Amino acid sequence: MLRLGYDERAAALLVFPVVAVLLVVAAFPILYSFWISLHDVVLTRPLRRPFVGLDNYLRVFADERFWIAVARTTVYTVVTVAATTVLAVLVALLLNEAFPGQRLLNALLLLPWATPSVVNGLMWKWIYDPSYGLLNGLLVQLGVLERYRAWLGDPDLTLLLIANAAVWKQMPLAALLLIVTMKAIPEDLYRAAKVDGAGTFRRFLHVTLPALRPGLMLVLVYETMISIRHFDLFLIMTQGGPGDASFTLSWFIYVETFRSLRFGTGAALSYILAMATFLLSYLFIRFLGRRL
Amino acid sequence: MATIVCEALTKRYGAVTALDALDLTIAHGEFMVLLGPSGCGKTTTLNLIAGLEEASEGRLLFDGRDVTWLPPHRREVAMVFQSYALYPNKTVFENIAFPLRLRRTPRAGIERAVRAAAEQLEIAHLLDRRPHQLSGGQRQRVALGRAIVRNPAAFLMDEPLSNLDAALRLSMRSLIKRLHHQLRATFVYVTHDQAEAMTLADRIAVMRGGLIQQLDTPEGIYERPANLFVAGFLGSPPINLIEGRIEDGAFRRAELRLPAPRAEPGREVVLGLRPEDVEAPAPHLVPLAGRVELVSPLGSDTYAEVSGPAGTSLTLRVPKGWRVREGEGIEVGVDPARLHLFDRATERRIA
Repeated sequence: MLRLGYDERAAALLVFPVVAVLLVVAAFPILYSFWISLHDVVLTRPLRRPFVGLDNYLRVFADERFWIAVARTTVYTVVTVAATTVLAVLVALLLNEAFPGQRLLNALLLLPWATPSVVNGLMWKWIYDPSYGLLNGLLVQLGVLERYRAWLGDPDLTLLLIANAAVWKQMPLAALLLIVTMKAIPEDLYRAAKVDGAGTFRRFLHVTLPALRPGLMLVLVYETMISIRHFDLFLIMTQGGPGDASFTLSWFIYVETFRSLRFGTGAALSYILAMATFLLSYLFIRFLGRRL
Repeated sequence: MATIVCEALTKRYGAVTALDALDLTIAHGEFMVLLGPSGCGKTTTLNLIAGLEEASEGRLLFDGRDVTWLPPHRREVAMVFQSYALYPNKTVFENIAFPLRLRRTPRAGIERAVRAAAEQLEIAHLLDRRPHQLSGGQRQRVALGRAIVRNPAAFLMDEPLSNLDAALRLSMRSLIKRLHHQLRATFVYVTHDQAEAMTLADRIAVMRGGLIQQLDTPEGIYERPANLFVAGFLGSPPINLIEGRIEDGAFRRAELRLPAPRAEPGREVVLGLRPEDVEAPAPHLVPLAGRVELVSPLGSDTYAEVSGPAGTSLTLRVPKGWRVREGEGIEVGVDPARLHLFDRATERRIA
């Protein structure tokens, strides 16, 4: 029998509610969905759920739509993460300088971040709207476009336009993380570099960028995890369309599970996505983190 | 190498004048120390010479050439910072080589210069390390190396030893002094530490409130402080200051009377007596008696806090070989020639 002192018993008692809640809302769904992924669960035939082993996974890998979804997700993630990171660095560099109105801009920067995802999706859907959208209005009035276009209806543009909406919302947090990292760079390093003869670009290259590495890694890992699993904007803006132009993994999971009601394959897909996210994050930390 | 001339150099931050029309000529090869409390303008002066800040008014000349508006890298000065300011991601070698790389020095030249500097500073075995693997003293040597390789016109040092512990500070102090002897370059050195200033400087500029209070050799500043501020700032323990009046060719304060033949009568003055300027009583000395309140032995010397005549409280160095005890009387001799007199209103030295 494990003997506990008063402090340990008190601690166990205090921690128990949290552990219980976590078991119910986190551990149980994770294990239960894994169990589902090993069974042929189809909601239209609720009483029949035979054990099929890894069949669901094999079926997914053999499905042409899965590879389309992987391709779409990859494009979306790479574009979103790259654009978010580059923009965040530029915005952080700008807001790290002292200039009139800098505080106001700092506060404004957080607005997109504070906007709920659904609101963000609706807003951009309106902006891209083919008949009364702001983007059309602006471009036509500027004379760039002859007539209104169905922006989201263009399969070549859809993913990029959704990525744009995502970047708008995600960039602020990334910029904020980088600003914090920048603030920690000692001013003397810049002064030393100036005296040593480094111009603005060299100072960025030799002082700012190396110091930003931890912040950049955080941004890369976080934004990749967010983007690879992103769902809200696809639901609100395109529902996977036009055709399969925005048919990403998360959208595939949703369709398979809640439209086709094939919970078994849906759960298998979810596990694949979760493992991919996990693996990517691990690789980032392993290879970027080591060089810090 | 360069002669540095500041002409009415002024720096204002909004309504605050950090540096007020500074005139200062630093000779070629001179070791100039700017000494003063924080906010006195010494670092501002250094930043202006380096080009890290722009002058509000005035001119700055290097060897007669106007550099007031030149950017830092075109002034050929090297700077050493209190925080070392080493590039944390670069090795020691790359840190020292950095200014040369920016000048597109050929590879072989860089290698040679870095090795030579590292040998000189005894850090050749550390070239592959990164700054975080070094001790404070080693880091400051690397920073010195980065300055040396450039063979600059002037070395600017901003409190380079202030982050080091006391023992290391002493050895680094002699290292810097040796470097100055070897390089024969112009050094401008900012510090608030009077011991650093006294030991290193050819000349010291004591600053306060953006103005130079006194510019002289270390001996000159110690022996003939120009005003009360300089007298109080240099010396450890600090000089004893006693307010009084000149009457009948003597400094008077109640029953205390010390000869001051050259001062004009009736003047309100402050008398300065350094703790170390007392000796055993002798016929040619003026006696000074009091009661020992506190004894502070330092090993090499012993200082006593003495309640002296006329309600004064004095810190005195106990003459060699004496044994004093708290609560007992003490009588020492003072050489009138070693007393300092300052005008109480203007705070200036009375010749």
